[in-house]
Amino acid sequence: MTAMTSTLETTPLYRICNPRSVAVFGASNRFSAMGTTQLTSLLELGYQGAVYPVHPNEATVLGRKAYPDVRDLPETPDLALIILPARIVAEVLEACGQRGIRHAIVVSGGFAELGNEEGRAFQAELVETAARHDIRFLGPNCIGVVNPHHRFNTTFFEYTCDPGFIGMVSQSGSFVTQMFDYLGRFGLGFSTGISVGNEANIDLVDGMEYMAACPNTRVIGLYIEAVRRGRAFVEAARAIVPDKPIVAFYAGGSEAGRKAGRSHTGALAGPDRLYEGVFRQAGVIRATSIEELFDFCWALGGSVRPKGEGAIIQTHSGGPGAAAADACGRAGVTLPGLSPATHERLASYVPGTGSVGNPVDVTFTKNPLDYFSTIPEILLDDPGAAGLLVYFLVPSRTVKRALEGMGVPDEQVDEQVLVLLAEQARSIASFRETKNKPVLGFSFRMREDRFIRELQDRGVPVLPSPERGGRAMAALMRYARYVDRLTSG
Amino acid sequence: MTETNVAAIIRPALDRGQEALSEYDSKKVLACYGIPVTREGLACNEAEAVSMAEETGYPVALKACSSQMLHKSEHGAVLLHLADSKAVREGYRLIAERATASIDGVLVQEMVSGNRELLLGLIRDPQFGPCVMLGIGGVFTEVLEDTAFRVAPLRHGDAEDMARELRASALLGVFRGQSAADLGTLSLSLEALGRIGMELDSVVEVDINPAIITPKGEIIAADALMVLRSEKPAQLRTPA
Repeated sequence: MTAMTSTLETTPLYRICNPRSVAVFGASNRFSAMGTTQLTSLLELGYQGAVYPVHPNEATVLGRKAYPDVRDLPETPDLALIILPARIVAEVLEACGQRGIRHAIVVSGGFAELGNEEGRAFQAELVETAARHDIRFLGPNCIGVVNPHHRFNTTFFEYTCDPGFIGMVSQSGSFVTQMFDYLGRFGLGFSTGISVGNEANIDLVDGMEYMAACPNTRVIGLYIEAVRRGRAFVEAARAIVPDKPIVAFYAGGSEAGRKAGRSHTGALAGPDRLYEGVFRQAGVIRATSIEELFDFCWALGGSVRPKGEGAIIQTHSGGPGAAAADACGRAGVTLPGLSPATHERLASYVPGTGSVGNPVDVTFTKNPLDYFSTIPEILLDDPGAAGLLVYFLVPSRTVKRALEGMGVPDEQVDEQVLVLLAEQARSIASFRETKNKPVLGFSFRMREDRFIRELQDRGVPVLPSPERGGRAMAALMRYARYVDRLTSG
Repeated sequence: MTETNVAAIIRPALDRGQEALSEYDSKKVLACYGIPVTREGLACNEAEAVSMAEETGYPVALKACSSQMLHKSEHGAVLLHLADSKAVREGYRLIAERATASIDGVLVQEMVSGNRELLLGLIRDPQFGPCVMLGIGGVFTEVLEDTAFRVAPLRHGDAEDMARELRASALLGVFRGQSAADLGTLSLSLEALGRIGMELDSVVEVDINPAIITPKGEIIAADALMVLRSEKPAQLRTPA
């Protein structure tokens, strides 16, 4: 149970993700330099700690006072951020160690990832230097971390979304930085994103343990090409999963990795099948694409854990409901029939044109607002419903006309539309607490639509298609099964 | 007790530089770990083979027993459904002729009926260490590639979960008038393979192929192969 007993402050990544002060090696006033770009990102996000550029000749770097040598710094910083040519990194790390710095991010490439002797030698030197000074470091060959809650971003890219709840540990820096804009489109964001690079000192498993302890992280996302500490991975995941879901996208399951065993078992032990087993055993939910990784993180981080199997689909349009049902079926989510009590309660709300099967297709309701309050409430009370999947389509224009029809004065209509949409979104969002069951939405409209934005901003995951909604619901059910297995026996 | 028996089988094989245990020895090790295996004996002449067959009860299977022939059936060194003493005598001669490597003798084995075949195995992965596998066995093993792996040791629920993971998991249920496979035995066997992986450093790979599911649902290892580590590990050599 190492993961759960380690507190945030004792994890090696704590001072790397939450430094009070940073020395930056490799930033200059030359705007094409990588280090300059990274320091720019750091300053742009409004980092509150002290920043000490170290530069041999510049008096200031990007307007900050620069220091010719790490020995000249006015204090011992928590972290060294190193973006320098590979051949001088160990020497700089040595100087940092002598100065008393105990944490570093080595962004530089040119180490073991080259696959040549020189690269391996540089990396070995780095590892030895760190060991000599008790330094824990991330990288080399990584883009570092982004912790928007701490306004800390060492990557090349500007962090454009809000601080979020997805804790990402990635063996590709791209799936941290290049996802900023993507997540922003759904109103999501990272709690912390960590690029682990060559994992010479801190690896994926350390990242998982940090995220497990991180209070801003509600779900852990992993991008994996190869797990280095396989058995530690399984142990850590098993300990974390009952408290926090883990979703992984594994790329690297090529048949090239297959070892020529002498047994049939050896011949069948391709990496893809092996990782499939490892993920299931460890309770890690496997996504089949990067897109799905974030869909699952969204659903899992934004929902309570279902208590059982079976979902009800609520729709007012036949096709989207049927597509969601089809997706649920393929993904292994059962769609139970409604209980007699539910039938009885629904009768006065669903017109004869509607269908009270599952999906529940209400077509047109007498009072359109029932769709956001009474109807989902009745469905969530059904004992067969472990979760609810709702189709959302609420054009603002329709709401506006309805309000005009109700005699709302023209000059108040626009404002009243917003009030009404916010109220309905609040009603849907409240079920997570009042019914203690997950509610996922799906729609073909996203944040350009006021109502969808209202829902998402109140924490309701609204996935961008029936298929993705159905698969996300399946991920919730799978998580519940994993937790049951891991906590029994 | 198990440890001594197992060491008594593996140590001499390593000392002789064997790369694998014969089927007979492999099954003895599996049996020490509680995995159900076929009843069988090792015959060194025709008369012995016949008397073992009589004792086992017809029909029987005859197989060349050798640590050097890893895939016996490809060499025509496996004869099934032998119904009487005449067939056993002829079979014995045929196998002795066909043997492509030195054999320890001919294995006289009970015929286990059942058309549902599983593959249970163990591999060692450089990152994950010993890993247990359950798959659909028999002649279509490589075609179907229907497998589930778990890192050893297995915990409560892991083995049942492996069975559920197979695409053809329905084969383990009630099937064409045959009983559902005994999941208790299956779990015990998979867990035992995990223990072999954790305890026997010199065993690098194991195949139980096939493990036959009988019409009553019993699971029995009908063939087995244990691949040994080529260099002799210190802990299994006589410490004196």
